[in-house]
Amino acid sequence: MLKALEASSEGQSVLDVPEAQMVSEQLWVDKYAPKSFTELLSDEQTNREVLLWLKQWDPVVFGSEIRSTSDDVLSALKRHSSIVHNQKPLNSKFPRKNGGPKWNNGGRYINSVSMDESGSSKSIQDAWNTKSRNISPPEQKVLLLCGPPGLGKTTLAHVAARHCGYHVVEINASDDRSTSTIEAKILDVVQMNSVLSNSMPKCLVVDEIDGALGDGKGAVEVLLKMISAERKPDVGKQTFGKGQMQRKSAKKGSKTASLSRPVICICNDLYAPALRPLRHVAKVHIFVQPTVSRAVSRLTYICNKEGMKASAIALTALAEYTECDIRSCLNTLQFLSKKKEALNVFDIGSQVVGQKDTSKNVIDIWKEIFHKQRTKKMERKSHKGSSFEFDSLYTLVSKRGDSDLILDGIHENVLRLNYHDPVMQKTVKCFNNLGVYDLLHQYIMHTHHMSLYVYLPLVAINVHHIVSQVQKPNIEWPKSHQRYRTMMMEKMDILNTWRQKIPPHIGRHLSASSFVEDLISPLLHILSPPTIRPVALQLLSDKEKNDLAQLVSKMVSYAITYKTVKSDMLPQTLKCEVADGLTLSLVPPISDFINFKDYTSNHYVLSVAMKQVLTHEVEKHKILQVGNDKTGALANEGHEVIETRTHNIPLANANYATAVDMKTNENQVNVARKLNANPTIVSSNLNTDKSSSATDSGKPLNMGNMKKPSRSSSSFFDRFKKANTKGVQSNDTSQPEEATLQKDQYPLLFKFNEGFTNAVKRPVRIREFLS
Amino acid sequence: MLWVDKYRPKTLDHVMVHTDIGHNLKKLVTEQDCPHLLFYGPSGSGKKTLIMAVLRQMFGTGAEKVKVENRTWKVNAGSRSIDMELTTLSSANHIEITPSDAGFQDRYVVQEVIKEMAKNRPIDTKGKKGFKVLVLNDVDKLSREAQHSLRRTMEKYSAYCRLILCCNSSSRVTEAIRSRCLNVRINAPSEEQILEVLELIGKKEELQLPPGFGARIAEKSNRNLRRAILAFESCRVQQYPFTNKQTIPPMDWEDHISEIASDIMKEQSPKRLFQVRGKLYDLLINCIPPEIILKRLLYELLRKLDAELKHEVCHWAAYYEHRMRLGQKAIFHIEAFVAKFMSIYKSFLIATFG
Repeated sequence: MLKALEASSEGQSVLDVPEAQMVSEQLWVDKYAPKSFTELLSDEQTNREVLLWLKQWDPVVFGSEIRSTSDDVLSALKRHSSIVHNQKPLNSKFPRKNGGPKWNNGGRYINSVSMDESGSSKSIQDAWNTKSRNISPPEQKVLLLCGPPGLGKTTLAHVAARHCGYHVVEINASDDRSTSTIEAKILDVVQMNSVLSNSMPKCLVVDEIDGALGDGKGAVEVLLKMISAERKPDVGKQTFGKGQMQRKSAKKGSKTASLSRPVICICNDLYAPALRPLRHVAKVHIFVQPTVSRAVSRLTYICNKEGMKASAIALTALAEYTECDIRSCLNTLQFLSKKKEALNVFDIGSQVVGQKDTSKNVIDIWKEIFHKQRTKKMERKSHKGSSFEFDSLYTLVSKRGDSDLILDGIHENVLRLNYHDPVMQKTVKCFNNLGVYDLLHQYIMHTHHMSLYVYLPLVAINVHHIVSQVQKPNIEWPKSHQRYRTMMMEKMDILNTWRQKIPPHIGRHLSASSFVEDLISPLLHILSPPTIRPVALQLLSDKEKNDLAQLVSKMVSYAITYKTVKSDMLPQTLKCEVADGLTLSLVPPISDFINFKDYTSNHYVLSVAMKQVLTHEVEKHKILQVGNDKTGALANEGHEVIETRTHNIPLANANYATAVDMKTNENQVNVARKLNANPTIVSSNLNTDKSSSATDSGKPLNMGNMKKPSRSSSSFFDRFKKANTKGVQSNDTSQPEEATLQKDQYPLLFKFNEGFTNAVKRPVRIREFLS
Repeated sequence: MLWVDKYRPKTLDHVMVHTDIGHNLKKLVTEQDCPHLLFYGPSGSGKKTLIMAVLRQMFGTGAEKVKVENRTWKVNAGSRSIDMELTTLSSANHIEITPSDAGFQDRYVVQEVIKEMAKNRPIDTKGKKGFKVLVLNDVDKLSREAQHSLRRTMEKYSAYCRLILCCNSSSRVTEAIRSRCLNVRINAPSEEQILEVLELIGKKEELQLPPGFGARIAEKSNRNLRRAILAFESCRVQQYPFTNKQTIPPMDWEDHISEIASDIMKEQSPKRLFQVRGKLYDLLINCIPPEIILKRLLYELLRKLDAELKHEVCHWAAYYEHRMRLGQKAIFHIEAFVAKFMSIYKSFLIATFG
């Protein structure tokens, strides 16, 4: 009878299986594909969860009517579980000619393990009962199945969807998967009612979503867009209960359609970069290998059916060899039976069974490296020779190919393992191996001897032999090296730009490495003298002024200043002192270079007020330098004096321009004196110049002269400062502490430059400067 | 200005540390027949200072007027053309570049850029044909290919172009180049010489130096003059008048390494090694070269170590440093050294104390 049935199925399959002429029969894989949920070989837990997830869609897709139907399903399942199947499917695509609900067919096929069946159906019912009360679709709109090939992911998706009463629409790598086409297709699936005779809702299965990167990405993007579109308008959810027709019309207006049908995505590598965004929103199920016994029992069943002789031992060996890849097992068996050969245990290692060329994802490889097989298993495997483990690891690592990443992972994780190592000898060996790897890798890169690449996986195997453990390791992705690389580049960049800012006659003596080695630590000390007091400048003694001036000149010559930085941006900066959320920190951020973890340096930190003063001074100093160049050139040309004119002298920023206007033919000293009319700060600058005996114009000035112009107050500078704290709340950098109680004698007019407040307009007589 | 820059000798006559070398160089330059020069020596010994002084001796004060230029060079390398950005520092008569900045493309810098610069002969004000000087920094970091292409340039344009090369270690400069230059070794100044310099600065700054204070700075400076002067100045800023008990501010990264060393001495286990790794990464992130980390770490460990073990530990340090220089991922090798040290030390502890 079986023969007859087979003959009939052969006759039909000739039409739709192209290779039928040669094979003259259907592929076993298709022939024995599980047709019902209970026939599935994959892990019970996964199966149930997938089914549960699909069931959660019921309220959305089917509305309220589903409740009774679903119960029907379950009862039907139970009823049919005992029925011996007696009919072959006509072809592997599930035929839907009768238009009736699919579950009537669903239970018709035999389940070899009836115990499993009843168990699973019960648990499904339980799960369904608890979950089905809520009326919204499941949390995650997309199901992502992943796992190595041949374990039955696609089969599960199809069977489960069919079981739940969906019409399966599959998009796989052989279809066009550009964004536009896939969007149309998904829309079609999700929104349209089928015009075919059956009115079953559709379920989309996107197979091999990780397959081709560019194309897969398109699919992922579309799905993500639809998911996010679903999240935003909550309005749509309320219409869910009213059945699909209404839902459809409600959604018509919106531009991006939302997902209202289950979508199952299938991939091999969960960690493929294209899938990263999807991984966060999808419900992920990782397929694990079915137990060998389960696979073998199924294989035995098929062998019996096909009349092929195969011992259980041989089948077990085959299943183990292919890592329970049912597809590969079946193909092999069919191939052998075609050649009228019996499955031989010793064939398996040889050419007869094609070896899969698969690459596992890298985390699994690390796990494999750090994980020692149990000894029991080892013994069983020992008949394949002691090199089995070596071979399998070698192929594993070399097939992945990305040896750099693998070694980084080993480096990252090896110290977290829990191996017994009293005098660290194992660790030393491990690191020696890593060192060897590094040398070899560098050599290969340098000389392009690519053939040497074959030796790189050996390092990983060596590490495996040294540290592998029976207990499961906790693997972390190697980030630290990458992090180190990027951060070092950043810091190098900072150093280089800093070096370019430093005037060449100083910067030329330094290299980037000497900055960190020699310069930065002392420089931080030098830049923050504890002796300097944060008081108003005019209160400083001459000596202190001198110190301050020197400090400023140092900061200028090394192109350092302070800048306001939001404190939350640099929480760890040493120089931080919180002052209403803003802090002043060094620019360039050289203090970061000594900012080690768990390390506290004993650098003195200047007060905020002091920093503000310094910032001010540095700016001023820079301006003065520019100005001195200009006036120096001017004085050489020898202009005439225009003496008693009253000028508006905009100070600071603008004063050099007016200084030029004044066309004074006095020597530089006088010009400088005018410029320095207001702040004592500038006088200190001149002091600097004096002390450093630079070619500066202010040499012959003395301190007494400097102070005179501001007769009534101790400093002219303070006068406008007071005014500005009163009048304008702008972004000034002046001190509140510095404000004096001096009353204004003149109406002041001032103009603020960005971030800088010493631009003041007021009528002054030249006499005042000269007196 | 910092004292380092302020008291940097400007002319060969004022050179304080390497007076004899300064004297010889002066003779060389004044005799108008200056060969190519190769200065080598540890950092902070005064190579750059000497080079500047030589330039000044050659061209007068004009050599001090320098400007920084960022230029992009278009280089044809076979089928494609590469854009290279290079910073040059130049005066009327000399150009200073660091060819190793270009990384693995340094070959093109040498082949194209330097050739280009060397070709153009300057004409001085009197209409006489002058010669120009190319200063190349960090020659030891040049790749082998670049060094090979350099030697032809050195010969071809030697009539009107002099090269002054500057590097830390001459062993990484090929024989061929070394033989084309007059090698000038600038050794690190001795502690007495450093003390001399510090005292001179103290005198010029009108500071009171208590006896022994300068010597302490000199001792801590590791025979690095730049570091000594910087430490001196930071002492001055932190506390003046000086006292003999005053702490000399340490280099922060050295402190950090000594913390690592004491961590290692306290416990030897893979777990501790993992903590040490974090700290090592911290140092590397802050641009401290791995060789220097290893060297300093060895120094700190040796200070705390039993004399019996010193030899062996030094041996392994050298071994791992060699591997580090051959390889690429420095962290592997530094950690390997730490692991090795832990292993040696722990078995030593077990052997002695049971």
